[in-house]
Amino acid sequence: MISSDVIRGYNDTIILYFLLDGESYGYEISKNIKELSEGKYIMKETTLYSAFNRLESNGFIESFYGDETFGKRRTYYRITQAGRAYYKEKCEEWILTKDVINRFIKEWRV
Amino acid sequence: METIKNYLDNMFAALPKTVQLADLKSNILSNMEDKYNELKAEGKSENEAIGIVISEFGNIDELISELGIRKEEDINTIPLVTQEETDEYLAIKRKAGFLVGIGVVLCILGAASLILVYQLGEDGFIGDNLPHGAKESLGLFPLFILVAMAVGLFIFSGMHLEKYAYMEKGVQLPISVKVMLQQQYNSFTPTYYLSLIIGITLCILSPTALFITSMMGNDESTYGVVILLFIVSIAVYLFIYFGTIRESYSKLLQIEEYKPKKMTKEDKVISAVASIVWPLAVAIFLFLGFVYAKWGIAWVVFPITGILFGMFASAYSIITGKNDN
Repeated sequence: MISSDVIRGYNDTIILYFLLDGESYGYEISKNIKELSEGKYIMKETTLYSAFNRLESNGFIESFYGDETFGKRRTYYRITQAGRAYYKEKCEEWILTKDVINRFIKEWRV
Repeated sequence: METIKNYLDNMFAALPKTVQLADLKSNILSNMEDKYNELKAEGKSENEAIGIVISEFGNIDELISELGIRKEEDINTIPLVTQEETDEYLAIKRKAGFLVGIGVVLCILGAASLILVYQLGEDGFIGDNLPHGAKESLGLFPLFILVAMAVGLFIFSGMHLEKYAYMEKGVQLPISVKVMLQQQYNSFTPTYYLSLIIGITLCILSPTALFITSMMGNDESTYGVVILLFIVSIAVYLFIYFGTIRESYSKLLQIEEYKPKKMTKEDKVISAVASIVWPLAVAIFLFLGFVYAKWGIAWVVFPITGILFGMFASAYSIITGKNDN
């Protein structure tokens, strides 16, 4: 499990990644995160919805009600142009960060 | 499933009830339910599934700081009360209504007994062996005893209500309690109006006692006053008892005039005037009684004061009320 402190700055990026190819909803995203990280990162509900709220108020995503399925009306999210630009920016930032941090990292071979 | 819902309800209980938050909550709930169902489908036990779902909920403070909201208790100090508290408040209020009602009845009966004893003395039924001055004042004994008992009741019920003073300033009710109280209030309303009708009818009919007895003779009309006061006291008891019960519901549900508000300037003026006028009326009453021995008629000071004060209070409210609008 990854400490949420380390990953905090990239929660938004992770969510945007799943929206790049099309709209999605909360549970699907959180499930995808768990699967893609092979269970190493589980995004908490409060983290997920804080991020949705932040992304939406920054205009990076839009929310809308999906069709009612099994009596549930889900809130779906889709990425905006600004969101895509922000995602790209964050990716570049990470590549740079990774490069910098890696210079200070020793890999221990056990 | 119910556990998850309750957990979430608790987490959101302290937050303001806005549309945004309700939306957020239902989204999170459906998210958690999806997760729960999938865990169950994977073969996890009920407890395991609930444990995992709740452990993956996170920290509500994260949402709070993200949304820039403060917990409701920080914004205002309106307390959230439980059903036990409202039940106890209603029970105590009902008891207080009973005690205060009896107290007021005792006060009125005190005045009635004063007149009654005086007239009985006049007519030579009692106190003939007493010196003249003592006989005149005999009626004061029941008056003071009854009034003292009444004051005891007022203080006693006031003491009990003290504990629930915060309820009167407006409280927040959980929805379930609010719905229940609303139902109780609605089913109580016909009873209240019935008590009001009976009380008012008694008041209107009470002077007939005076008419009938005054036809029988001048002295007999004094007994008529006693009967009138007795009938009025029953009416007053009805007003106070049922009025208090209604008031307790109104305050909890914040109906009509019981919306929390500050005492307005006119309320203050009226209560200041009341605190002067009523003791003054009592002073005049005692003065007329003791100095002029006019116990038989001195009581009219109270209805006259009541009417005049009522006139003043409503006139003052109307005049000053214009400025507020």
